[in-house]
Amino acid sequence: MVLADLGSKLSQTLKKITSASKIDDVFLTEVLNEITMALLSADVKFEHVARLTTSVRTQVTLFMKKEGKYTNMKKIIRQTVVEELTNILNTEKTPYEFKRGKSQVVMFVGLQGAGKTTTTTKFAYHYIRKGWKVALVCCDTWRAGAFDQLQQNAAKIRCAFYGNPKEKNPVTIASEGVEIFKQEKYEIIIVDTSGRHMQEDKLFEEMKEINEAIDPEENVFVMDGSIGQACYDQALAFRSAVNVGSVIITKLDGHAKGGGALSAVAATDSPIIFLGVGETFDDLEPFEPKSFIKRLLGLGDISSLFKT
Amino acid sequence: RFTNTLKTFTGNKELTEEDLDPIMEEFSNGLMEKNVAQDIAVSLCESIKKSLMKTKTESFTTVKTTVKNALIESLKKILTPKRKIDVLKDALAAKKRGEPYKIVFIGVNGVGKSTTLSKVGYFLQKKGGLNLLLAACDNFRAGAVEQLKVHARNLQVPIHDKGYKGDPAFIAQEAITKAKKAGHDVVLIDTAGRMQDNEPLMRALAKLVHVNKPDLVLFVGEALVGNDATDQLTKFNQALIDYSYQGSDPRTIDGIILSKCDTVDDKIGASISMVYSTGKPIVFMGIGEKYKNLKKMNINTVINALLS
Ligand SMILES: Nc1nc2c(ncn2[C@@H]2O[C@H](COP(=O)(O)OP(=O)(O)OP(=O)(O)O)[C@@H](O)[C@H]2O)c(=O)[nH]1
Ligand SMILES: Nc1nc2c(ncn2[C@@H]2O[C@H](COP(=O)(O)OP(=O)(O)OP(=O)(O)O)[C@@H](O)[C@H]2O)c(=O)[nH]1
Ligand SMILES: [Mg+2]
Ligand SMILES: [Mg+2]
Repeated sequence: MVLADLGSKLSQTLKKITSASKIDDVFLTEVLNEITMALLSADVKFEHVARLTTSVRTQVTLFMKKEGKYTNMKKIIRQTVVEELTNILNTEKTPYEFKRGKSQVVMFVGLQGAGKTTTTTKFAYHYIRKGWKVALVCCDTWRAGAFDQLQQNAAKIRCAFYGNPKEKNPVTIASEGVEIFKQEKYEIIIVDTSGRHMQEDKLFEEMKEINEAIDPEENVFVMDGSIGQACYDQALAFRSAVNVGSVIITKLDGHAKGGGALSAVAATDSPIIFLGVGETFDDLEPFEPKSFIKRLLGLGDISSLFKT
Repeated sequence: RFTNTLKTFTGNKELTEEDLDPIMEEFSNGLMEKNVAQDIAVSLCESIKKSLMKTKTESFTTVKTTVKNALIESLKKILTPKRKIDVLKDALAAKKRGEPYKIVFIGVNGVGKSTTLSKVGYFLQKKGGLNLLLAACDNFRAGAVEQLKVHARNLQVPIHDKGYKGDPAFIAQEAITKAKKAGHDVVLIDTAGRMQDNEPLMRALAKLVHVNKPDLVLFVGEALVGNDATDQLTKFNQALIDYSYQGSDPRTIDGIILSKCDTVDDKIGASISMVYSTGKPIVFMGIGEKYKNLKKMNINTVINALLS
């Protein structure tokens, strides 16, 4: 499913390198073109693709200067491709780890319709099944039916829920909800917020106010897996507005290759923690960067490709 | 070399592959950066290159300007609808005939179908004084019915719903019958979001469309979507054909509403991807979350944004 197309395209190209009898400049250009097209059709941000191909070219040229011939070039190309892709995903940050017996707040933010509300519920369900005491707070006072949506979801997974359709100020609701659940010693308090975008200052201001009021342990940025070239700027804006700690990519049960994910992660400088793969509450997959790259490239053991 | 460069300034130069290739690549990359799907950007530039090969540049026109002009023409052609859709005019005509005008909104999850439905309703109400009935045929997603009820309340129009029970195709049918009896001019049918590869859900959608023979099938796609745009449109369209009942004329997509245009700045390339892949016109653009945030597309503005 997800990324499989991209993975097979890239691995075909990489195989070509392995089986090529001669690697010269023409061949290199051809290979780089194929890689470029595969990544662009998977929505990887244009600049990332350009950087990757430039980097491969540079490495190859350096190598040429040193060795004076094209032998061993295959390895250099493969190594650089893997490295650059991994670099896009790499981050120093580690996702927040919940501690037992302590109240911790997670706020979900993202663009309109990205899948926040659905994902908060999946996230809650994930931890409920592991025996955590989890609560959901709806502070989307904007979207029609937002309160009912989360309330119905919470009921389905039997999760504690707070919301107030009469209150129009999301900051008030968030503070109240979090306060109540803290007093009741809930361990994971999940706050769902309205969808917003960087072009609307007021919406970002509101997000910052909620963030300040509840001071969450973690902010999760939810993004749609089919998103294209505009995602980087949005992700960057969210990160600069609130301290985004991790990312969840949704709707990867569809046809989209999810390459926008690579780019969004770079913008947030945060790890991806889960993938959303459907509309029901157990359609949530844990995310593992190494295996992601492996799958992306259709490779077995990639450790040999990393420079020491 | 010198004469060649000179000619690019004075014009009247026969265009060769060497002249065109680098400039085509520049434009093709530019389009992709503006979120035009990769294969579409490439094939668009290929065809422009073909048409320009061996032609001469006009006096005082550089190769670049020549290519740019050809591209503008080509984009204009793509975005200019072969069949114009005037929802207001058609709805008013139906009213004259004494029939309710039925519009179905379809698309993948979270793109803005329900919001767009209410915006189109608002438009028809304000501009045509038309009398609406909403049909809550998304009875799958939590809160979907309540969401539509809020819109009905805000627009002060009735809604037909069966809660979260029943067959959406049948709920739509009931709504249409109701509209005929009560003399509503327009029936706006909301449907659940679904992934284009989800066969059972696509079959159910085709059934709803087939059984109810709407006057207009509108595909809602978001401006944020990347390369998946083409796949979404072609597969939704194809599903309506493939899963229609034998021996009857299938109803395909009539037009597109491009939502969330306010979230992408000038990266409005999804408009090209969507129109190019099916030839269906963009009937409206969504430019915000309020009822008024719906407008007709200005082709020149879109092209300027794409080439800026
Ligand atoms: N197929 C699929 N659909 C999903 C997934 N995650 C969410 N959705 C659907 O996407 C749509 C939007 O999801 P919501 O959870 O309402 O999105 P949101 O970000 O809360 O939206 P706003 O609050 O309006 O900004 C719904 O139809 C969900 O069922 C997923 O992983 N796969
Ligand atoms: N900024 C912006 N947001 C929009 C626009 N149109 C819709 N939205 C938002 O997108 C989110 C999803 O809208 P919905 O109308 O619920 O989308 P949907 O396609 O009906 O979603 P499902 O029924 O769950 O598949 C909501 O937060 C809307 O407010 C638009 O033009 N601009
Ligand atoms: Mg929501
Ligand atoms: Mg809807």
